[in-house]
Amino acid sequence: MLRDPNNTFVFGLFNRIVVFVSELLVVYDRAMSDAIAHQSEPERPDPRPRLSPDHSSRQLRGWRCSECGVARAVHAPWCPDCGGQLLVVDFGPLGTVWSSTVVHLNIADIPAPYGLAYIDLDDGPRFLAHIDGAEEPLLVAGRVTISGINERGDIEVTSITTGHETS
Amino acid sequence: MIASILGVGTSLFGKQQALHPSELVWRAVAEALDDAGSPDIDAVFLGTVFGAPGVAQRALHPLSIMGVPIVTVENACASGTSAFHEAVAAVKHGRYKHVLAVGVEKMTDEFVGPIVPENTDTEGRAGLALPALYAMAASRYLAVHDVTQRDLAGVAVKNHTNGSLNPRSKGRPVPSIDDVLASRMIADPLTLLQCCPLSDGAAAVVVGPSHADGDHVVGVRASVMRSGGPWDQRSDDAWGFELIRDTAAEVYEAAALGPSDFDVIECHDAFTIGEIVTTEALGLRPRGEGVALIRNGTTSLNGPMPVNPSGGLLSRGHPLGATGLAQIAEIVWQLTGRAGDRQVDNARLGLVETMGGGVSGIDGNACVIVALER
Repeated sequence: MLRDPNNTFVFGLFNRIVVFVSELLVVYDRAMSDAIAHQSEPERPDPRPRLSPDHSSRQLRGWRCSECGVARAVHAPWCPDCGGQLLVVDFGPLGTVWSSTVVHLNIADIPAPYGLAYIDLDDGPRFLAHIDGAEEPLLVAGRVTISGINERGDIEVTSITTGHETS
Repeated sequence: MIASILGVGTSLFGKQQALHPSELVWRAVAEALDDAGSPDIDAVFLGTVFGAPGVAQRALHPLSIMGVPIVTVENACASGTSAFHEAVAAVKHGRYKHVLAVGVEKMTDEFVGPIVPENTDTEGRAGLALPALYAMAASRYLAVHDVTQRDLAGVAVKNHTNGSLNPRSKGRPVPSIDDVLASRMIADPLTLLQCCPLSDGAAAVVVGPSHADGDHVVGVRASVMRSGGPWDQRSDDAWGFELIRDTAAEVYEAAALGPSDFDVIECHDAFTIGEIVTTEALGLRPRGEGVALIRNGTTSLNGPMPVNPSGGLLSRGHPLGATGLAQIAEIVWQLTGRAGDRQVDNARLGLVETMGGGVSGIDGNACVIVALER
């Protein structure tokens, strides 16, 4: 190294160090921006109702009070009506439309338009469903079946009533 | 009487991008204190939903409101009237003599469109924005009651007509029913002009003892706040109906008054269907027949029981925390003959109703109803 007249080894080493440090900085920068992005959008538990673990069943995993019999789509530590114990029950797939709308605004991460309906599952709870593929609201009092879950994780229903149209 | 309103004040309502939330509060509070004869304020309740931490103290210390207890209250769209309710309760029970209720919301600092639904909520996470929640009620009403889309639009025309007479509301030109129906679809069947616009504002009310006297003093006969009960497959009523009905029943009992006794009403018309469901829940008409009030002009400004003479939320917009106190200010101006071109003749008894939502599973976060008397 001392006999290197143009110090090429030293410069080469220096260059490598510079490149290595700048790469480190890039990695650090990415990690920091990931951390910042993560900080602004932390992952939260998903509060939405789910289908029963066997998705092919097309049933909503809910609860029924062992004492007063009320059906629920959303969990609670005990029955809010009577204090009774809640037992896991699968409901559906058939139900009736209580009401329905199509939203024409982009809300959160959902591209418009998207259809929503309150569904009263047969002998089960009312829950908020997305309408599978529809761009018109479902007919109030029309019959539907749970058809699956969309990529966002929303439960979808599809009409099984003929003459499905804007109410 | 359980307390008195000594003074009221509001900022302008509408998009006011350039103003700091504190500046909105200063305008409202300065007017209310002046109206009340500048009493010493012993405590403050401030209603806001999206206000930054410390919004109350940040806005109030430059007004020299310091040292006294200041409490910030959140109750969705009913945050302002919740602050008022707490102020009235504090005075009624002798805890403080003069209490300031303030509401503020700088909506344009938070949103460019509708309020983004809360993603820790079951239905909020699934995309149930507030226009969609009210649209569900509207779809149901169109399907099961004698209600048409033109009836819904009639509410918007009435309230925009009233709002055009309100110098504090940056209202739009008065639309026709066809204009309302032809405006952009937001959530079927509700079109843009059936939804309250994005708006910034603040409002303030000075509450004092029931024996207060003065030209502008208005008595509080009753103030009731309730939170919602279960709303699920067991309910066939539109969301919010039962909560408003039950809150109204308590107010009527406490005030020893009935729905037909009131000369003027300000109620929660965030969406056209809201006013129809609310007037039914208040008992002005049986369930499913509220549109008759619109069709026959009962609730028009020159009708026998004007509803939303200010133009309501549909015209004024809905800065959440400010809304309820702006409603109270309007009724105070009506009862003291200071409502200008929208003055209701000989108004002596007034009712204010505010309804807040956003929590799924119940039919409302909070409903506040207040009966006022000159």
